[in-house]
Amino acid sequence: MTLTNPLVAQHCSWECSSELHNPPRYVIWPQSTGVCRCFAVFARSPVSMAMRQTPLTCSGHTRPVVDLAFSGITPYGYFLISACKDGKPMLRQGDTGDWIGTFLGHKGAVWGATLNKEATKAATAAADFTAKVWDAVTGDEVLTLAHKHIVKSVNFTQDSNYLLTGGNDKVLRIYDLGKPEAEPLEIAGHTSAIKKALWCNNDQQILSAADDKTIRLWDKNTKEAVKTLSFDASVSSMEYIPDGEILVITFGRTIAFYKAHSLDLIKTVDAPASIHSASLHPEKDFFVAGGDDFKLYKYDYTTKEEMESYKGHFGPIHCVRFSPDGELYASGSEDGTLRLWQTAVGKTYGLWKCVLPEELSSENSEALYCPPAEIKA
Amino acid sequence: MKTPVSVLRLPRGPDPNSRGFDPNSPRFIALCPTTVSTSSSGSVDEEEQRLRSELRERFLRTLLLMTDKQVQFDMFEKVRVRARFGASDIDVLNFQVSDLETPLGVQKEALLRCHDVISCSFEP
Repeated sequence: MTLTNPLVAQHCSWECSSELHNPPRYVIWPQSTGVCRCFAVFARSPVSMAMRQTPLTCSGHTRPVVDLAFSGITPYGYFLISACKDGKPMLRQGDTGDWIGTFLGHKGAVWGATLNKEATKAATAAADFTAKVWDAVTGDEVLTLAHKHIVKSVNFTQDSNYLLTGGNDKVLRIYDLGKPEAEPLEIAGHTSAIKKALWCNNDQQILSAADDKTIRLWDKNTKEAVKTLSFDASVSSMEYIPDGEILVITFGRTIAFYKAHSLDLIKTVDAPASIHSASLHPEKDFFVAGGDDFKLYKYDYTTKEEMESYKGHFGPIHCVRFSPDGELYASGSEDGTLRLWQTAVGKTYGLWKCVLPEELSSENSEALYCPPAEIKA
Repeated sequence: MKTPVSVLRLPRGPDPNSRGFDPNSPRFIALCPTTVSTSSSGSVDEEEQRLRSELRERFLRTLLLMTDKQVQFDMFEKVRVRARFGASDIDVLNFQVSDLETPLGVQKEALLRCHDVISCSFEP
C-alpha cells in the first residue's frame, strides 16, 4: 500500500515496540520523495523499527549546569538559557542547541536563569548577591539588582514588566522593571533559603519553595500566604504549567502533581532514584524526570508507568524541561553539559533526521552523522 | 538491535573569541536597537551616540598607545602590579602582559582579568 501525501511525509508517525502484535500495527514511514510507505509491524520484522534515542550534547560550560529555562515560541523559534556554576549563563537556539551567546558579568556561580516569553529579556540569579536583567538579543546587561545574600531564583511575569527574585535571605522580592530605581515589594515568611519562586495564576499569585520544606502560595497584593504545603524532605524542584494550572514538584524519589490554585494533590509517582527535577509535557501525556543516578526517566502521566529510561549524562541531573512545543526536552547535569532529547524518538526535528536503514548506505549518508551503534555511557 | 537516530550535525558550541549575539543574525537586525525600551528622543540619542563613539575611540587609542609600555595596574584587594602591556582581547576581558612583577617573582607571560582591574597608568 503506497500513499502519496507530501504533508505526511514531513512527519514520522509511528511507535516502536518489540511485542508481538496481533493484528499487526501499521506504521507510516515517510521517504524523501514525499511518498509514504506503510509497513505492517510484527515482532522482529526484517526492517528494524525500534530506534535508539540519540541525545544532542551542548558543550561550553565548564562547571555543573544547575538550571535551565525555555522561552515561548517566537517568530525566530524558541530559545534556551542555562545557568552554570562557572558564572557564565548561555543562550542557545532551543531546537538545535546551537550556542547564540554568553551573558558576561556575574562574579559568582549562577543559580537561576530565565527568559521572558518573547526571548527578548533574560534574567539570572547568582552567588555574587545580585540578580541581573539582560537584553537577550544583544547580550548586554541591562540591570543589576543588589541583594543581601545569594540569589537563587528569578522569574518574569507574562508581560515581562515585573521580576520576582528569591534566595538565601529568605525574602521574595518583586521588582518593577519600568522603575528599576524604586525599592522592590518584599514578601517575607519563609524560615529558610528560598530555592525557587514562580509567578502563577495569571501573575496574581506567587509560588515559592524553600529549604524549610514548605511550598507557599502567596497573594501578590496582600503579600499574605494563602496556602502552605509541608513536606518531609526538601523540595528539589518546582515547575508551573499555566495551561491546566498544574504544579510539578520533586522531593526525595517522588514526583508530585498539584493543582496550582488550590494546592490539592493530583497524583504522585515514585522513581528508582532521588529526583532533582521533573517536567510535564505541554499536552500532559508524559513527564520526564532526572536525578542522582544520572539517568533520565520518561513516564506516562495518565498511567504513571515508567516508559523509558535514558543513560547519557556523566553526573547527577540537576534540571530538566520540556520545550514549549513538546518536541524535545533538555537536561542539565553536574557533568557541565546540556543534553537535548527527542520526545518522539526517530522523528525528523531540529538536528535529528528520520532515515530508513537503506538510506544510511546510499549517497545521502554523507550529509548525516550516524552515532556508533554501541554507545557506552 | 536498535538503530540509533541519525543526526545532521552536532550543536554548535561557543566561539572562544567572542561572547556571541551575532549582530548579523536576522533576529538581531529585526529587534535591535529597540529590544529594551529607552525613553530618550531622537536627537538626544544621536548626541549621546556621538559622545559614546568618541569615548570608545579614545579608549581604543589609549590601548594602542599602551602597547609595549610599562604599565602599572591597580586591582582589587589593594593589588598593584607593573607589567609590559601586550594586547587586549576583543571584549576587553583579558589583558595579555609580559614580565608581570608579582610578590612571587616576575611572570614572563600572563593574562590579567580586566574585571579585576580598577585602573592602569603609564607614561606615553
